[in-house]
Amino acid sequence: MIALILRRLIQAPLILLAVYTITFALAWALPGSAIIRDEGRRPPEAVLAAMESRYNLDSAPTFYVQYLARATGVKWLIEQAKGADGHVPDRVFDLGPSLRYEDWSVNDLLAGTLPVSLILGFSAVAIALFLGLAAGILGSIKPRSLLDAATLALALIGVSLPSFVIGTVLLLVFPVWLGWGRVGSWGSPTDLILPALTLALPFAAYIARLTRLGMIEALNSDYARTARAKGVPQRTIVLTHALKNAFLPVLSYLGPATSFAVTGSFVVESVFNVPGLGRHFVSAVQNKDLFVIMGVTLVFSAILVTFNLAVDILYRWVDPRIE
Amino acid sequence: MRRFALALLILAALLAGLVATQRNTAPRADFTYLEVQDIHTLDPQRMSYQQDMRLAYALFEGLVRWDTQSEDFHVVPALAKSWETSQDRTTYTFHLRAEARWSNNDPVRASDFLYAWRRAMTPDTAADYSALFFRIKGAEEFFRWRTEQLAAYAARPDSEKSREAAATLSREADEQFRKLVALEAPDDHTLIVTLVRPTAYFLDLCAFASFLPVHPANVERFVTADPRTGARRQDSGWTRPDHLITNGPYILRDWKFKRELLLERSTTYTGPATPRSNLIRMLPIGEPNTAVLAYATGSADWISDVNVDYIPELIEQTKRGERTDFHAFNSFGTYFWNFNCAERFPDGSPNPLHDPRVRRAFALAIKKSDLTDLVRRRGESPRDTLIPPGSIAGYHSPKGLPYDPARAKRELADAGWTLHDGAAPTDSSGREFPVVTMLVPGTPAHHVDTALTLGRMWEETLGVRTRVEVKDTKSIKADLTRRSYMTSRAIWFGDYGDPVSFLDINRSTDGNNDRAFNSPRYDSLLDQAEREPDPAARLKLLEEAERILVEEEVPLIPLYAMMEFQFFPKNVTGLSSHPRRVQYLWQLGINRDSPESREPPAQAGGQAPPPSTNDNAALLLPLPLGEGRGEGFTLLGLSSTPTIPLFFFPERIP
Repeated sequence: MIALILRRLIQAPLILLAVYTITFALAWALPGSAIIRDEGRRPPEAVLAAMESRYNLDSAPTFYVQYLARATGVKWLIEQAKGADGHVPDRVFDLGPSLRYEDWSVNDLLAGTLPVSLILGFSAVAIALFLGLAAGILGSIKPRSLLDAATLALALIGVSLPSFVIGTVLLLVFPVWLGWGRVGSWGSPTDLILPALTLALPFAAYIARLTRLGMIEALNSDYARTARAKGVPQRTIVLTHALKNAFLPVLSYLGPATSFAVTGSFVVESVFNVPGLGRHFVSAVQNKDLFVIMGVTLVFSAILVTFNLAVDILYRWVDPRIE
Repeated sequence: MRRFALALLILAALLAGLVATQRNTAPRADFTYLEVQDIHTLDPQRMSYQQDMRLAYALFEGLVRWDTQSEDFHVVPALAKSWETSQDRTTYTFHLRAEARWSNNDPVRASDFLYAWRRAMTPDTAADYSALFFRIKGAEEFFRWRTEQLAAYAARPDSEKSREAAATLSREADEQFRKLVALEAPDDHTLIVTLVRPTAYFLDLCAFASFLPVHPANVERFVTADPRTGARRQDSGWTRPDHLITNGPYILRDWKFKRELLLERSTTYTGPATPRSNLIRMLPIGEPNTAVLAYATGSADWISDVNVDYIPELIEQTKRGERTDFHAFNSFGTYFWNFNCAERFPDGSPNPLHDPRVRRAFALAIKKSDLTDLVRRRGESPRDTLIPPGSIAGYHSPKGLPYDPARAKRELADAGWTLHDGAAPTDSSGREFPVVTMLVPGTPAHHVDTALTLGRMWEETLGVRTRVEVKDTKSIKADLTRRSYMTSRAIWFGDYGDPVSFLDINRSTDGNNDRAFNSPRYDSLLDQAEREPDPAARLKLLEEAERILVEEEVPLIPLYAMMEFQFFPKNVTGLSSHPRRVQYLWQLGINRDSPESREPPAQAGGQAPPPSTNDNAALLLPLPLGEGRGEGFTLLGLSSTPTIPLFFFPERIP
């Protein structure tokens, strides 16, 4: 276990460096200028040149190295070691300014939006887990029954309907027609329900399918039959004996699902006006806001690497047989 | 199982903790409005977006402001209680209100204006509007001097670059500013400005956001000298609620990025701008449809810019009397179509649109009323000029080109193209007219509709083949800059109440001349106007310049008046209907005594405005509209689904 964690911790910086390099190459190659606005009055050439040199946008290698040094805290360490006053960056991990939203640094943006994305993502996964497991178990108890067909149909809808349709319909039904909740605000726990539900549905559907298959297999297995023969109540067999084994594939799916729910909720964030990170990332690419693209990518990939590690550890904890 | 339950419990506790940190404890605002565009900056010298300026006018008070409720949009005293102009109309002496205070109780001094305006004139600040300050004597020279000084510094060897050297540079620049720029503050309450030459719209400029003062110590705390470039580096942070010092009717109480912004009535402000609402809340909602739903469910009192694809249906509902809270206004902008006027494309092939006769032919082939009435159905009026007619006092717009298919064909034939039935025109050597490409962004979808319509009109009248090219705005901008396009959609809004605000984008040397338009005659008319001391004669010269632009050279085809669509119920007061589209937030409020009263929005003074006689003032619905129904709306540019929301949401839940 320790060896696994150590190995992963050594791998992580290399993975992050690779992600950083590829993202940098792609972002640098995006068409258009990072500074010139798409619309509105264009400032004098001297101003544009000054901005390019200020942000190192006139030289790709300089930008690559300088940004990496600042974002990873290397620059901070070097300046700290030199001991020169006033040269030490304010932040250990300085992800740079936003070129588009000039009053905010990428650190500010992340501080404001990452918690929102985390809440939304984790809530969605929690809802997905609850709905998915419940639907999967119900469906597996009597396969090919009406209940099974109903949960399967729901799962199919959850997988195939895009979030912007589900989101818009939910918005219309609850806040607009029934007057439950608010539209476009964030700040009370109830604001979380609809976006989390919308984000959860595709995951719930997939979890339901995984659970149902695993449960049917487990309930037909020898140990389940033995337990039944020994007079163990059906409830205990389903919830304790079968579910424990059926849950393993769900657990391995939870890693990527959680990281996707946390980082990939652009559509849900737009429809419900959730002030999360996903929207920044997409709009940063559209605006060629290099600092935001690089900063958010680094943080996103760090999250992904962490979740994958967490799931690996959890996996071994649940099933010690797995090497 | 127990382990699993434990893990879930930990997750739930974590979530609860996180949710708790997100709680919103702010009190209910007196007035809430929605912006569909994000706030980019609250730094007055750097801003260039309408939504940013709206906030700046609430936070800061300039020398003068506009009377947004008046028909001529004239300038009235704000921080300057009075001013005099010299005989030759080049020197302005402003007298500032002695009792004016910043929100930290510091007195507002004339030198604060010097500081703010110097920021705008310094290339380091990277102000989009630095050129507006070049009306002031010495400003352009100072800008150039500083640019050269920084270039010389950049050329130094690394050993001669340091924070101290950069700071010295900055001090030299301050010295140079005092020497070169004709701005003086003889005492704390007097500001003397000398202009290069008489400028009729200088007071109008003084009301503009770039000319607002800032608190020098507030800004200076976040400025560092950059040892690498030698420039003064403005770090973000001075506009944050805990730092920002303002002199306007409001202070910035809270600002959460892309979540909300709260303005609170300032206790130190004693000027003439009396706020109607004590607490104003701004919610940014980027998805237009969500913004409309938020308004419909009572989350906001005003949407400043409705940009949904079902506007034609909203107009229909308003016409039928089913809706009273949807409003359309002409704005100080024009939607037009760009021609690439360069002689050759970047790949070296000749550009047929270089010939003004060809461009005229394309302009004459367009029936603008069909575009606005049958295709767009948003109540926009067709335009034949770049400058909104009637929007600038004393300026008489030229006629522009009409719809004349016969003349269009003649013009194209005159340019050496032989027209054929059912085939593209050919030149004398038998070469076909190249496929006319039309560059548009994909969202909102109506740009594509407009391009398809124009393309069809050109195909039918001139026989040319056309192709719509949908790209993202960054790529479009890059193509325009490289001149690697044939035609493209464009929009321009005037910044100040003078024809030059529209006309200078077509100067051959201007950075906004996306058209590669190069007409010595046009440039020289603008130069003559620049030198002309007599205001009436100056306007005549500018009229002639615009006539050349829209009737002879035609680097662009004006199509229709830009409109602004808004939602607000009848009890919202203080909104201006003037096409300049400036709304002072301190004038806005809700008439709580008579909710949903039928009275029109009242003026700042409390009386109803006089009935409008200006063509460009409030365009009151119902509008003349064509027949036809909307096909669908695009959400997030991903898909087209039927217009569900519109027909089901109630007008407004009070």
